[in-house]
Amino acid sequence: MTVHQLIFIYFAIAMTGISLLVVTRRNPVHSVLFMLVLFVHIAALYLFLNAEFLAAVQIIVYAGAIMVLFLFVIMLLNLRREETEEKFHRQWPVSAGAVAVLAVFFIMIVSKIVVLPALGEYSIDAIRSEGSIMTVGKVLFTKYLLPFEIASIILLVAIIGAIVLAKKSTNS
Amino acid sequence: MDAGTTLTIMDIRPFVPELTLLCAGLILILLDLIVKRKEIVAAVGVAGTIAALYATYKLFGYAQPQYAFFDMFVLDGYSSFFKLIFYLNLILTICISVKFMEIEKASCGEYYSLLIFATSGMMIMASAADLIVLYLGLELMALSTYILAGLTRKRHRSNEAALKYFFLGAFSSGFLLYGISLTFGLTGTTNIRDIAHAIYALNVMDSPILYLGMIFIVVAFGFKIALAPFHMWAPDVYEGAPTSITAFMSVGPKAAGFAVLGRVLFDAFGGMQVQWTSVLIPMAVLTMALGSIIALSQTNIKRMLAYSSIAHAGYMLLGVIAGTPEGLTSTANYLMIYTFMNIGAFAIVIMLRREGFRGENIEDFKGLSKSHPLAAALMLIFMFSLTGIPPTAGFVGKFYVFMELINSGYTYLAVIAVVFSAISAFFYLRIVMYMYMKDPGEEIVITTSPSMSIALAITCVMVLILGVFPSFLLNLVRYSILG
Amino acid sequence: MQYAPTVNAMIKYTLIPLLPFLAFIINILLGRNFIRDKAHWVAIPAVFGSFVLAVSAFIDVANGQVINIDVYSWIVSGDFNVSFGFLIDQLSAIMLLVVTSISTLIFIYSVGYMHGDPGYYRFFAYLSLFVFSMLILVMANNFLLLYFGWEAVGLCSYFLIGFWFHKKSAADAGKKAFIVNRFGDFGFGLGVILIFLTLGSLDYMEVFNRAGGIAGQTINILGTDFDLITVICLLLFCGAVGKSAQLPLHVWLPDAMEGPTPVSALIHAATMVTAGVFMVARTSPLFNLSATAMNTVAVVGGLTAIFAATIALVQNDIKRVIAYSTVSQLGYMFLALGVGAYSAGIFHLYTHAYFKALLFLGSGSVIHALGDEQDMRNMGGLKKFMPQTYKVFIIATLSITGIPFLAGFFSKDEILWRVYQQGDLGKFLWFLGTAAALLTAFYSWRLIYMTFHGKFRGTDEQEHHLHESPPVITVPLWFLAVGAVAAGWVGIPPILMEHGDRIGEFLAPVLGHAQGHGSHAEEYFVIAASIFVAVAGWLIAHRMYIKKPEIPAQLGAKYQPIHKLLYNKYWIDELYSKVFVQPTLKLADKVILGFDTIVIEGIVNGIPALIDSFSQGLRRIQTGLISNYGLVMTLGALCMLIGYMVFSG
Repeated sequence: MTVHQLIFIYFAIAMTGISLLVVTRRNPVHSVLFMLVLFVHIAALYLFLNAEFLAAVQIIVYAGAIMVLFLFVIMLLNLRREETEEKFHRQWPVSAGAVAVLAVFFIMIVSKIVVLPALGEYSIDAIRSEGSIMTVGKVLFTKYLLPFEIASIILLVAIIGAIVLAKKSTNS
Repeated sequence: MDAGTTLTIMDIRPFVPELTLLCAGLILILLDLIVKRKEIVAAVGVAGTIAALYATYKLFGYAQPQYAFFDMFVLDGYSSFFKLIFYLNLILTICISVKFMEIEKASCGEYYSLLIFATSGMMIMASAADLIVLYLGLELMALSTYILAGLTRKRHRSNEAALKYFFLGAFSSGFLLYGISLTFGLTGTTNIRDIAHAIYALNVMDSPILYLGMIFIVVAFGFKIALAPFHMWAPDVYEGAPTSITAFMSVGPKAAGFAVLGRVLFDAFGGMQVQWTSVLIPMAVLTMALGSIIALSQTNIKRMLAYSSIAHAGYMLLGVIAGTPEGLTSTANYLMIYTFMNIGAFAIVIMLRREGFRGENIEDFKGLSKSHPLAAALMLIFMFSLTGIPPTAGFVGKFYVFMELINSGYTYLAVIAVVFSAISAFFYLRIVMYMYMKDPGEEIVITTSPSMSIALAITCVMVLILGVFPSFLLNLVRYSILG
Repeated sequence: MQYAPTVNAMIKYTLIPLLPFLAFIINILLGRNFIRDKAHWVAIPAVFGSFVLAVSAFIDVANGQVINIDVYSWIVSGDFNVSFGFLIDQLSAIMLLVVTSISTLIFIYSVGYMHGDPGYYRFFAYLSLFVFSMLILVMANNFLLLYFGWEAVGLCSYFLIGFWFHKKSAADAGKKAFIVNRFGDFGFGLGVILIFLTLGSLDYMEVFNRAGGIAGQTINILGTDFDLITVICLLLFCGAVGKSAQLPLHVWLPDAMEGPTPVSALIHAATMVTAGVFMVARTSPLFNLSATAMNTVAVVGGLTAIFAATIALVQNDIKRVIAYSTVSQLGYMFLALGVGAYSAGIFHLYTHAYFKALLFLGSGSVIHALGDEQDMRNMGGLKKFMPQTYKVFIIATLSITGIPFLAGFFSKDEILWRVYQQGDLGKFLWFLGTAAALLTAFYSWRLIYMTFHGKFRGTDEQEHHLHESPPVITVPLWFLAVGAVAAGWVGIPPILMEHGDRIGEFLAPVLGHAQGHGSHAEEYFVIAASIFVAVAGWLIAHRMYIKKPEIPAQLGAKYQPIHKLLYNKYWIDELYSKVFVQPTLKLADKVILGFDTIVIEGIVNGIPALIDSFSQGLRRIQTGLISNYGLVMTLGALCMLIGYMVFSG
């Protein structure tokens, strides 16, 4: 077992464990903080895959902006009830069973993989020679131009939706 | 123009219909600031849709599929036919909305632009040649629909519907992304055609990981189509959402879901037909069974129509199960017919809505034939069509699906479908019985508007014409899909 | 011999049924609010247009242009082809002429008869719809379209019998007609399905071409082997028995007289009830393959002819007498079909349409004049008040009783002669037919004498209002009278005039020639016999109702059991009521109490209950809780996965 694999296994197990903590905490603030830890782990995994730009984005956007937004909302709503109410509506045994079965199947399936796909056109060396940001930028504005533009419309819709749902009613 | 390696201005061309519609959506946002009367905003929306429809019509002449944006996007007969369904859905929804949203006190210009953005999302889905574009189109459609479902903010049920739809939609998106990444992991591509090539080249037809990816993708599409057991959201959301949006949702996302289901299963996973057929058959039976049986016990007509739309999704799925291009054709044919009869039925439900009266209970239809014979007669036609009684279009739709199913050797499934279809007659004809055989309870007042009359005229005439002359539509759909 | 029709010809043939259909659409949509009492201005031109086109179609056919074309394919899927297609040959051309000409006259008559009725526009709408359906039935080139027309005319008949639905007897009669016809149509539908299953097509020509191939094949029903063709033919004949009111399904037709008189004349005398005759003639290539089926048709026809005639002897309701007469005459037609003399059957259908429509419309004129009085015991002496009606009535009666050189004489004689030629069974059926002719003559003249002769027996008020009907009623009567006299001149027996049987020759390409041999002496004997009974029946009636009016009462008293038997129509209605209707009602009561509460409510109300109790399963899943829904989705995906694991090992 190489060092690479050891590090990967740590991150994989840690992310699973932290995710479980996120969804099982009674206090929403705790959940959000665990999520922060989770995001940092994901960023580390990106770094590990030679995607330093994505790692930075992960930290700045998710751990930074989105996390803060979550905390704001939770504090504004003052979610106390969640602490007392029973979690998962008593369905967690079923869920746990389902998750366990899924996990077993998944391990069985993954262990059966024999064929690996061909590598893509962007090898690690090619990215290193150009730099991660440049590569992402080039791909984003050529090959992935259409998805990029569609994403912008999605954001527009999200903004409109937020305004429409939040603004004061003008009719009444 | 195939497999371009550079980006040119010509790449825009196949995208013109979407672009037209998106521009119309943006214009509406601005127009809403200037114009006070919402009817004008709605009319401009319809005009934009017709412009997009015209663009699709002009581009339709190209026999060969046109790929653009590095094979991310494709314009072909298949997507064009589905776009036709989306346009009709959009126009009819706008027509039945104008008065209704005023009564709901939720009339705003954004309503129409969101309808248009949702429709653009559906069009992008139908034309997606790459799973990334497909996913983004789906999110564009979904996000707009979540907001629309919650637009009547004063009603708790509407808020609840929007939130439920949002959370479960996000959950299903998770399935989709997981499925896409599993598929990507094995084939190294997200391009639908390249996936099929890679599956053959790597000879991984039997790979369990690919199967898992395929299942997750089917789950996500099944959620949008409301196939059991991924249908649970539908009754709650359909009931809670404003009725016009329920009509919109029961057709558009369903048709878009079928468009991508057909494309992904036939194009990307074409080599795994045995596997996906064995997944879809139990889903179809369960969907028809739950839809038809639970609908019997509903007292709220929107909820009943929700279960009815679940059952219809089951019938439509049968065409996909047939596994032939002709089977897919019959599904597309059914969807077009379903658009007319379903929106027609919802339009009548909307007409019963007035200030201070919801008109959503089946009891409210009591004696409608006495007070409003025309509305009752229209509802009768739509109910007959939904049941599948000739000579209405609903019969034709079902007939072709069942026939393709039998041609593919699934006679037992066709028999099951006919049985559930017979069961469904109970709850459709119950409405008819309430309208024609019961005495009116309290006085029924009907709210109509010119645009509503147009929508009803279109739907009713099409249901009858397509029932008597089905070959017009069938030739169109055959020409579009089979070439 | 078939010609590729031009587009113009196709438009023409499509317009024939389409015009009345358009009239129906316009009247039903706009009638209530806009057209109202001007409905006939829409309906009459439409049906007259159809008549003109039908004449033109007839000329085409006479010039040898037989047309068989699919105008429009409704549903095509593999071998299964449902098309909207016309077969215009000699048979349908004659039917087209009969249907459209009589319809036109009856539409005009209705303007006077239905004047002032609140449902005026509705009446014309339904009547137009009926004409459309009947034309579809006649013009169809495949069994499915035939079946469509068949059911559609039945539906129109139901609407029109129950036209005055506020009258309970009318509504009941409508229901009765509908239910009785269900029995026949059920068999007919099975027959059509069986044809498709065994021959793989519903197109007439293909079915007839392939039918020879299945001759001799058997079908196993409940452990017994039956000849396949015979089963198909008998099932088809079931439909004909229902629609054409033959034994034992004749009971609905006399009750159907509750409808307005134009309806009785058009639907229940001239056209719809003859659809069964037409259908059997149309499918004659099938019937020809089964001697059993043919004999059944002949025997049922012969028995019905005499049976209905006996009932007609003693009825007092003017329209019921004519109704039983219709049943009896339809029996003659089936008698002809059953012995293979298809063209004789169609010939009688064609002449019968004129004189029977005339009888009905004439009786309508009487009823109208008397203010809806239908009982002949309250009539009498109308001759001097209604001379026109009286004259046409006499003409129709001379025709129906078979007085030489009128229409009915030639067609009835043709049938009796063809039947006579068919061996011992034929001789027996000929005897029945001739006896029925005697009875026909008697009850027809009895009707005339009771209605028009003697003294008026109604109320003074009725007498005060007695008047001849307006021209809008009498003119169509005179047109029909011309038909009742002259319609038969196209079928003069060759023995009386060389090349006289023009209609038989005309129909021969479709229906073939009747088989059978007989000497000239025998033919003269048959003719003489029928003339003799026609005159004898007349004289007996004259003696009993003019010379010695006390005889009927004496006879009735003397042979009271027989009189009662006949008067009560052999108690068949009561029998059906006891055997079928009441047990069904009782069963239905039990069903409502038992079945309904347990099964129906079980389905409608019980399914939610089932769902509730079903471990609260389905219902509990629909909790409204998002996390539950998410779990179900996951479990669904899991099931697929497990299914795959099990499936692929």
